[in-house]
Amino acid sequence: MKRLTISPPLAAVLLAIVLFLLSGFLPNGFGGNLDVATAQAVNIVRLSVFLGIIAAGQTLVIISGGEGIDLSTGAVVTLTAILTYTIVNGRNEQVLPALLAVLAVGGLIGLVNGAGIAFLAISPLVMTLGMAGVVSGLILVITQGNVSGAVAPIMTQLIARPVLLGIPGAILIWAVFAAFMWLLLERTAFGKNLFAIGANRTAARLSGVNVTGMVIGTYMLSGMLAGLGGFLVVGNTGVVHIRIGDPFLFPSIAAVAVGGTLLTGGKGSYFGTMAGALVLTLVTSLLTTMQMQESVRRMVLGATLLAMIAIYGRQRGFRQ
Amino acid sequence: MPPLLAVRNVAKRYGAVQALIDASLDVDAGETLALIGANGSGKSTLSKVINGVVAPDRGQLLLDGRAVRFDSPHAAKDAGISTVFQELSLVPQLTVAENIWLTREPLRRGGLIDRRTERRRTEELLSLFAGTLRADLTPDTPVFALLPDERQIVEILKAISVNPRLLILDEATASLDSRQVQRLFELIGQWKAQGTAIIFISHRMTEIEQIADRYSVLRNGQTVGAGSMKETTASDLVTLMAPETAGGAVERRRASPDALATRRVVLQIEDLRTSVLRGVSMQVHEGELLGIGGLKGQGQRDLLLAIFGGVPWSGRMTLDGKPVHFTHPRQAMNHGVALVPGDRAGEGLLSIRSILENLLVPSWRNYGFPLRMKRARQDAAAIAARLEVKMASLDAPVSSLSGGNAQKVVIGKWLLRNPRLLLLDDPTKGVDIATKAEFYRLLTRLCEEGTTVILYSSDDEELIGLSDRVLVMHDGRISSELAGAALTTANLVAASLGVSAGVAL
Repeated sequence: MKRLTISPPLAAVLLAIVLFLLSGFLPNGFGGNLDVATAQAVNIVRLSVFLGIIAAGQTLVIISGGEGIDLSTGAVVTLTAILTYTIVNGRNEQVLPALLAVLAVGGLIGLVNGAGIAFLAISPLVMTLGMAGVVSGLILVITQGNVSGAVAPIMTQLIARPVLLGIPGAILIWAVFAAFMWLLLERTAFGKNLFAIGANRTAARLSGVNVTGMVIGTYMLSGMLAGLGGFLVVGNTGVVHIRIGDPFLFPSIAAVAVGGTLLTGGKGSYFGTMAGALVLTLVTSLLTTMQMQESVRRMVLGATLLAMIAIYGRQRGFRQ
Repeated sequence: MPPLLAVRNVAKRYGAVQALIDASLDVDAGETLALIGANGSGKSTLSKVINGVVAPDRGQLLLDGRAVRFDSPHAAKDAGISTVFQELSLVPQLTVAENIWLTREPLRRGGLIDRRTERRRTEELLSLFAGTLRADLTPDTPVFALLPDERQIVEILKAISVNPRLLILDEATASLDSRQVQRLFELIGQWKAQGTAIIFISHRMTEIEQIADRYSVLRNGQTVGAGSMKETTASDLVTLMAPETAGGAVERRRASPDALATRRVVLQIEDLRTSVLRGVSMQVHEGELLGIGGLKGQGQRDLLLAIFGGVPWSGRMTLDGKPVHFTHPRQAMNHGVALVPGDRAGEGLLSIRSILENLLVPSWRNYGFPLRMKRARQDAAAIAARLEVKMASLDAPVSSLSGGNAQKVVIGKWLLRNPRLLLLDDPTKGVDIATKAEFYRLLTRLCEEGTTVILYSSDDEELIGLSDRVLVMHDGRISSELAGAALTTANLVAASLGVSAGVAL
């Protein structure tokens, strides 16, 4: 008998749709109004973009296995958001240099993470947690607690406003980005080798995969993607503060897990992470709409994560 | 009076492999029984049946004449059967004393561990080997700081600390030096005098002759002989272990030594050293199937890994006449070298990934960007069809395959690259007979096509049947070379055991 199984990314998308439809019945929900519903849906997706892109690097690192995790993500987002803010300082022509600068800085931090993990055999958890501390300290030293600068008009235009057929720029950016991530994971030797080292590092090495290089490259990419995330976040909010990246750290890991990527590595997809980012963003904004306190929001988010992972765990158990 | 332990007609099957068919033995209180047999004859399985690690499919264990059944090593231990394992079972982070008394710690009133008593008893045990151990080895030394021989001794002390009625020593002397072995034999004498029965499993014939009162020989899972050591000789025992068989399951026409000598040298190694190898020199010719033999763990694995760039090494190596020094498998791979590693699940396969991806791991870079998946899939399908891999689809996880089919995938990923030099580390371990036969045909064909093969196998008949020439390894060196008429199972077994050549010929 063929057992009915739903892939985790699909399960997460379905959950997101059901939650969204249910939210219509809330006192201040969209009710039967299709226009309001569409507008709300677009807004939820737009809000998911930032978590979705920040969690992309986390996805790669977790797929790479070896207890892979990047706890420096939040700090890197903060640092690169501040860098963008100060470098751009309101001028459109500074946007591209700022983008290159944050990718370089994020990449450099990731490179150090990767080198520590690959060469010094420091566990990823400890290495990236330590790095988060170093980067946070650096932010305090550089800014002395206050940041001056501004985003450029073109950033607001492209990221926060509708660009094409009423679709916000951020969503278009996410769509293109997702295509690149799919290409990277499924249609490059890098992607295939990433799954290989996540599944079994010894076998991968004995099959000619340069495991050390892959690990360093993956953490470097994770840093760069967090840098891109910081750039987009500040483009969306238009203001910056020295804790702006912190709220993204836990959800970036949760989104990967909800998306069905194995936390032990070797199996997963970016589409899953996108679905996970949608679910988490949706739950958060629902609870905010219901005027729940921060404490309740956190509890519900945590419980959602546990429930999803428990369900996936059972499914795997059934199949084998 | 019944024997202390009698094993009657025990059989045990692991998946496709029939490890024991019909094994029996008796051992009395106060005597030492040597359990002997070639590689893969079932010695370790039989000892695991006796000490409760595996449950037999058929047969009986009689303790003092009464039928017993051990569901766990604990149950066997409670009945007075204690084992010194071949794979060490110590916890590295704990101290010597903590390891010896693990789960049996002496307690004070109130349930706290009585460290002082634990230390004192451990010191008494360590004093048994006094003079053969480092002076600074104390009960408080952590096990990770010990050398292999010291760990082995702690393992022995742990087994003896329960005052067993029956002590099983499974290759317990393999890592000990000669003084330690002599001390162990003195102790065995004392334990025998106290009425302990001992089952001694070893590959070293001289030790068996020195310590055993009686012997029991296993061959292919069957007990083929038993008796008193006084009434036998080493060469009789070797004949029992490996009778001269005609042909066997493997049929391949050997290339003559003269014909081989005229061919191009593909790989030449001089004075190869690693942490395990102690100076290995050899030559392999084009299209030759070179066998590597010897007891398990004599450096065969390291030799293959070193050639493949998997472990650091020193020495000289030339491939096709050009000096090479691979430091990563990728470099070896790019020179047409391939390795099928010995631990299939741990080193050969990405269990949770698909068959397709397992076949293509070494080759993705040949498919451009973006990867040409259609071509990749065709290539993988072609190799799977050529090797007759029985599978649901290329997208099924490789963990869904049987042992033999999974091994085909490991071999297939290298055949996809047409290797010139194929290294195989015990490739038919845990593989069913039908697949083995397919595999022998495949190797024969590859050699005919000019591929050079270096094969290590723990199956002596397979090694003799397939190889043009066999190098026997002992303790990180090549101890002898068998070729032409001298290439027989009996000679291989004798050379592996270090019995002088004259005995078995």
